[in-house]
Amino acid sequence: MNDLASRAKASSKLRPNDIDPRVEAALFRRIRASETVAHLRQLMSTARLRTLLVVGLSIFFWCGLFALFYVGFDFLRENVARPGEVYHAKTVEFVFHLFFASLNVMLVFSSGIILYGALFSSQETRFLLTTPAREERIVLHKFQEATLFSSWGFFLLASPLTLAYGISVSAPWHYYVLIGPLIVSFVYIPCVIGALCCLLLIYKLAHMRVAVVVIVAALSMLAAGAAIWETIAVDRKELFEDQFFLDTIRKFRFTREEWLPSSWLSNGLIDAAQASPRLPTPLRDTPVVRALMSLALLVSNALMGRLILTAVARRTFRAGFSQLECRPRRPRRAGAAWIDRVAAWFLRPFPPQVRLLLMKDWRLLRRDPVQWSQFLIFFGLLGLYFLNVDQFRVTAGDIEHTTWVNLVSFLNLAVVGLILSTFTTRFIYPMLSLEGRRFWVLGLMPVSRDTIVWSKFVFAALGSWMPCAMLILLSDLMLHVSPLVVGVHQLTTVLLCVGLAALAVGLGAMMPNFHESSPSKIAAGFGGTLNLVLSAVYIILIVSLTALPCHFKLIANSSAISSEFLREDYLNLWLVLGAGLAVAVGLTATVVPLYRGVRAFNRLEFY
Amino acid sequence: MIEFEGVSRSYGDTLAVRGLDLRIESGELFALLGHNGAGKTTTIKMMVGLLRPAAGRVLIDGYDTVAQVREATSRIGYVPDEPYLYDKLSGREFLQFVAEMHGMSRQEATRALDREIERFGLGRFADELAESYSHGMKQRTVFAAALLHDPPVLIVDEPLVGLDPHSIRLVKDLLRERAAAGTSIFMSTHTLAAAEEIADRIGVMQQGKLIFLGTVDELRHKYHAEGQSLESLYLSVVGETVGGVTAEEEATHQVEPPAMLEGSE
Repeated sequence: MNDLASRAKASSKLRPNDIDPRVEAALFRRIRASETVAHLRQLMSTARLRTLLVVGLSIFFWCGLFALFYVGFDFLRENVARPGEVYHAKTVEFVFHLFFASLNVMLVFSSGIILYGALFSSQETRFLLTTPAREERIVLHKFQEATLFSSWGFFLLASPLTLAYGISVSAPWHYYVLIGPLIVSFVYIPCVIGALCCLLLIYKLAHMRVAVVVIVAALSMLAAGAAIWETIAVDRKELFEDQFFLDTIRKFRFTREEWLPSSWLSNGLIDAAQASPRLPTPLRDTPVVRALMSLALLVSNALMGRLILTAVARRTFRAGFSQLECRPRRPRRAGAAWIDRVAAWFLRPFPPQVRLLLMKDWRLLRRDPVQWSQFLIFFGLLGLYFLNVDQFRVTAGDIEHTTWVNLVSFLNLAVVGLILSTFTTRFIYPMLSLEGRRFWVLGLMPVSRDTIVWSKFVFAALGSWMPCAMLILLSDLMLHVSPLVVGVHQLTTVLLCVGLAALAVGLGAMMPNFHESSPSKIAAGFGGTLNLVLSAVYIILIVSLTALPCHFKLIANSSAISSEFLREDYLNLWLVLGAGLAVAVGLTATVVPLYRGVRAFNRLEFY
Repeated sequence: MIEFEGVSRSYGDTLAVRGLDLRIESGELFALLGHNGAGKTTTIKMMVGLLRPAAGRVLIDGYDTVAQVREATSRIGYVPDEPYLYDKLSGREFLQFVAEMHGMSRQEATRALDREIERFGLGRFADELAESYSHGMKQRTVFAAALLHDPPVLIVDEPLVGLDPHSIRLVKDLLRERAAAGTSIFMSTHTLAAAEEIADRIGVMQQGKLIFLGTVDELRHKYHAEGQSLESLYLSVVGETVGGVTAEEEATHQVEPPAMLEGSE
C-alpha cells in the first residue's frame, strides 16, 4: 500500500495530491473489507442465533434443491434417455438454455434496479462524490455490491443444478473445476448490462425513469407469460408426448441463440461434463477445450463489459446524479381521503382513542408502498395459486383424492400462516420500537400505554384476518372441500391471525429497540428472529390440532377401513377436542404475550 | 478562493439559485443566510460537485467544479449538515480512508489523524464503530475529516446544529483560526448570532437571489439600524417569503425581483 502511494506521488502524469487509480481501488477494497469484518464480528456477537438460523436454512434449502435437481436428472437418465443419447442431450440443453436465459434477463433487471438505489439514493455515494474519488471508482464500488446482491439467488439455484447434473452424468473432474469460473464470468455480463442501462437511463431520461422501467418490465413479463401459456395450453392428452416435447423445444429456440451469454454458459457446462473422446480427435474439438473456449468467451466479454462500464461511468455518472437531484418534484399530498372514511366507518365500534391510533397506523401503512406492495405481491401470488388448485377435481371420488384435497387445503392454510408470520415479524413486531422513537407524541397525550399496545394488536389482527380469511375461502372453494372443513379452516384462520398478531405485538413491547430507525433492522434482531421461530411453531401446532382430526373424519367417511377409533362418535370427539385444544393454545398465545407485553411497555423508560 | 460567475440552478420549474455572482477571498469567512428553501444548500451542492450549474460556473481555487471536478474537490474540506459516516467503520478508519483518498501516504495520514483527533478530542471514541456515535461526535469526526488535508477552501453547512456549548466554541474558534491562516470559508447557517460574531461578510439569500452582500455593519448602516441585532435586521430584510420561484412567476413578474442591497461590494 505504501509503495503504491509513493509511486502515485512520484508519477509525473498525476497531479499533486492525485492518487493512482490502483491505490484508489485498494483503498475502496480496504474500506469494504473493514466494513465486512466489523459487520460479521458484530453479527456473531449480537445476532448469533439469527445468523446460524439463516445459514442453516440456506444449507437446508440448498440441499433440498440439490435433491430435487438430482432426482430430475436421475429420472431423465432412467426414463428418457441415457447420457450420450440424443434425447438426453436435447433435454439437458433445453433445460440449461432456458434456465440460464431466464436468469440472464432477471439479472439484468435486478442488478440495474439495485445499482440505481446504491448510486442515486445512497448517503455513501453522496459523500463519495464530494471527495476526489473518481466517478468510475464509485460506480465500480457500488456495482460490486449490486452484483453480489442480485446474483446470490442465482448462485443458490445454479450451484445445486450444475452439481446434480455433473454427478448424474459422472462428469470428469475438470467439470467441477470449471463450474465456478463459468458461472462467475457469466453473472458479470448481465450485471454489467443492467448497470449500463441504469446509468444511461438516468443520464438521458432521468425524468422518465420509472415509466421506462415499468414499460420494459411489463413487456418482458408479458412475453414470458405468453411463452409459458403457449407451452402449457395444449390438450391434456398431448401433454408430455413426443410432439409436445419437440414443439416446446422449437418454441424456446430463441434461448439457444449463439449471441446470448447464457448460451455460452450452457454450452460450456455441457461440454465440460462430457467425457474425453475415445477416438483420436483434433485438440480444439475435444469437450474440455470447447468448454475452455466458452469460458474464454465469457471472461473476455465480462472484461470488455467492465471496460465499457468504466468509460460510461466516467462520462455519465456525475451528470446523471446532478440531473436526478434537480428533477422536478411534486410534493406528495395526503389524498385518497375516501379510503380513510371507509376505514373510519369500519372502526366505529372501537373507543375513540383506539380508533384514532388505528387510523394513524392505517394512514402510515397505506402511504408506505414498501409495506402494502409486498403484502399484495405475496398474497396475490398465493391467490393465483389457489385459483389453479382445482386440478385435484379430475380424480374426485376415491379415497386418495379425499386425502390429497384435505392435505392440500391444510397445507394452503399453513402457507398463508407462514407468509403472514413473515409480515407480522417484518411490519408488526417493529411498530412499538418505532413508536418509541417518537414517544414524545403519544407519551404526552391522555392515552394509556395499555391502549397503545392494544391498538397495535387490533390493527394487526384485523388487518391480517380479512385477506387471510378470503384467501383460505378461495382455496376451499376451488378445492370443493366440505362445509365442515371450510368451518374448521375459518376458525383456524382466526386463531392464526389473532395469535400471530399478539405474538408480534407482545414480543415487540417486551424487546423494543429504540436505537434503530429502520424497521427491517429491528425485525432482523434477536426479538424478530424469536418472533419468527415462535410463530412457525404456533402455526404448526394450530394447523396440526385442527387438521388431523378433520382429516381422519373425512377418510373414515369414505373408506372401508374399520377401526374402533375411526367410529363416528370417536371422530366427533376428536374433532371437538382438537378444535378445543387449538382454541386453548390460541388463547394462551394471544393472552400471555399481550399481558407480558403490556406490563413491559408500562415499565419502559425512553432514553 | 471561491468564485461564482452568473450561477443558476433550477429543480424542474422552480428556480433554486438565480444568477449568483460572488467571490470569497482567501482568508475570508463568509456566512450565507436565508430562510429554508432560499437556495443555500443548492449553492453548496454546486460548490462540492454534487450538482452542476445550469448556467454560469463555480471556481474553487481557479478550478471549475464541472470541468475539473477532481481538482476542485481535492481543495475542499466539506462539512455537510447531516454528517455521513460509515456505520461499520471506526472514526479512525474513516479518517484514514479520507486522508489516503486525498493522496497522503500512510505516514502523512497518521500524522494528520493524530493532529485532528487531538484537536477535536476524538481520542476516547476514535476506535469505536461510528454507529454508536452521537450527533455531536459525528459532527466532530466530519470536521476532522474535512481538515485532514489542510484544504484551502472550507465549506460548512449548518456547523453548529446539535452541538454542545463547548463544541460550538471549539468550532467558532477553529473557523476563525482557519480563516486567519488563509483558508476561504463558506458557511451556511441559521444561527445568526454566530454569523454576526465570526463572519467577515454575510450574504442574504431570498428565493434563490443574493439580496445582500456585505458586513453586518454595512447592513445596519443601510437600514439606519445601528445598535440592532443581526436577527432583527435579517427579519426586516427578508420578511416571511420562503421557498424558490418558478420560471413562469419570474417571467410574468409575479415575484418582485429582490433588489440587491449593496454592501461594500
